[in-house]
Amino acid sequence: MSSDQTPNGQTPEDALSEAEERAQRRMLRRRGRTGGESSGRRGLRRDKSASFLRDGDGPMVVMEDVKKVYEGKDGGTTALDDVSLEVDSGEFVFLVGQSGSGKSTFIRLLTKELDSSSGRVVVGGRDLTRLRRGRIPYLRRSIGTIFQDYKLLPGRTAYENVAYALEIIGESPRNIKRMVPEVLTLVGLGEKGERYPNELSGGEQQRVSVARSFVNQPRLLIADEPTGNLDPDTSIGIMQLLYRINRTGTTVIMATHDRDLVDKMQMRVVELEDGKIIRDQRQARYALAD
Amino acid sequence: MRKARFFIAEALRSIRANMAVAIAATTTVAIAVFVLGAFIPSFLFVQSAVDQQKDRIDVRAYISDPATVDQVAELEAGIVALQSDGTVESFDFVDKQEALEIMRERLQDPTILEELPGNPFPRSYIIKPAQAERSGDIIAALRDFPAIDPSAGVVDGGETTSRLLDVARFIQWTGLGLIVILLIASLLLIANTIRLSVFARRREVEIMRLVGGTNWFIRWPFVIEGIVCGLIGAALAVGLLWAVKIGVVDNWIVENDDSLTRDTATTIGFSALAGILIASGAIVGALGSGITIRRFLKV
Ligand SMILES: Nc1ncnc2c1ncn2[C@@H]1O[C@H](COP(=O)(O)OP(=O)(O)O)[C@@H](O)[C@H]1O
Ligand SMILES: [Mg+2]
Repeated sequence: MSSDQTPNGQTPEDALSEAEERAQRRMLRRRGRTGGESSGRRGLRRDKSASFLRDGDGPMVVMEDVKKVYEGKDGGTTALDDVSLEVDSGEFVFLVGQSGSGKSTFIRLLTKELDSSSGRVVVGGRDLTRLRRGRIPYLRRSIGTIFQDYKLLPGRTAYENVAYALEIIGESPRNIKRMVPEVLTLVGLGEKGERYPNELSGGEQQRVSVARSFVNQPRLLIADEPTGNLDPDTSIGIMQLLYRINRTGTTVIMATHDRDLVDKMQMRVVELEDGKIIRDQRQARYALAD
Repeated sequence: MRKARFFIAEALRSIRANMAVAIAATTTVAIAVFVLGAFIPSFLFVQSAVDQQKDRIDVRAYISDPATVDQVAELEAGIVALQSDGTVESFDFVDKQEALEIMRERLQDPTILEELPGNPFPRSYIIKPAQAERSGDIIAALRDFPAIDPSAGVVDGGETTSRLLDVARFIQWTGLGLIVILLIASLLLIANTIRLSVFARRREVEIMRLVGGTNWFIRWPFVIEGIVCGLIGAALAVGLLWAVKIGVVDNWIVENDDSLTRDTATTIGFSALAGILIASGAIVGALGSGITIRRFLKV
């Protein structure tokens, strides 16, 4: 699957030791600002949207004793129970666990699609439990989101889908014309911008979704089973994209139950079971080794 | 400005994607505006004719022959007082000789008058009320002056006046009622059409929210969609009305050059009417979609 090779040939197996990784991350970020390897992306780093999440050395995500109960007749379902977690700026975290363990609930708390029943959720220094409703759009546009079902706008081409994220933040048509093709090329869809979602394969649609999620350079990217509908080879391609995005300094949180992928990457793994964190391990595999 | 262009483009995109719904909305507005456009000039024409009749209404205060000059002056002072408080617009004195002349002109065979002993016609004041509705007040105020002739008294058209006023009121209220009903009906129809459009695209709207679209960023295209449908519908109706005016009404006026058309009753000019109709199309479209998105597009 050469089409799933990222332009610089990066593969997941290149996983680095944590110290090296941090060093490289700092370097990539600096390059991102000063030109160098990714000179084309210098212009992309605009803080029109990212400004909502506060800069600084603090953690990107903090959850403190978070509980989420879905109300219902029979006392409701406790989807998350007493979850506490910190994710540092620039980290890559896999959120794993069986279906129904609370991964999606966790993810949806971060964009305030859901409100926690108790406890605190802080993203980029913003306490979401105290965020006014009118501010929610500003939170969401500063977080890149990727879903299992892609969530592309059906009546729009790949190009228009990516452009929409920029139109929302009031980007100028000139910049949109410049940025969208760049990002589409980056995800390997340079030639397919004019295709509609139903004219693209699942993997291609997910690439469009990845392009949309980071075209305005969010500092946090969350993905809920982004490879859930894709075959293994295509999944690796998407994984590589997310990895590369992470290497430019973007914090990535990815919910998945794709065992092979997690094992290959050797990243931090947070495991949920019945809404509780039962494991939080660096450079880990999907399952606890015996 | 750039935003406006983007929103208009989005609205047109949505219209293109939901052509059937857009056509339904446009047709609805076209029909409603057409009826409104036929109704407004007719209403104003009748209204104007009634107003003219009302202008002709006057009150007559008949003076008894034995009344003294002082008593007549006292009556005139009473009328002047009514004039200064705005009840009376103007008044005119008719003496016995003038009364006889008027009668002579009015009769087919004035020779009857020659057979009368002397001049039986009384002096009178012809009083024009500021509003036809106030004639009763004038009668009440003047009735008891000593100069008034006890048998002839102070009168207006009486029965005719009150019936005319009833008709005028009826036309006013039913006319206004019909206009309001028409506007509300087309508003609801537009609202319903936009609701269909929102429903057809609720998944899309959901995605727009998830990627951080603000309420109004998502809503504006729908509002503009409503306005565009309203404008096009109204324009169609105006075109149709123009055809009807040229083809039917103008011919009819030429062929029926009689009392009705020769009368000075007027109605609204076509360009003013077109302006009102197109504006109401746009407003109905905007309100219709506004109502819907407030109810169905909560973010
Ligand atoms: N909208 C909802 N209403 C009620 N219960 C829900 C809702 N969404 C999820 N749940 C329940 O919450 C639990 C966690 O679900 P979810 O977060 O979707 O898990 P995962 O993404 O790991 O499969 C499950 O038991 C699920 O049935
Ligand atoms: Mg899930």
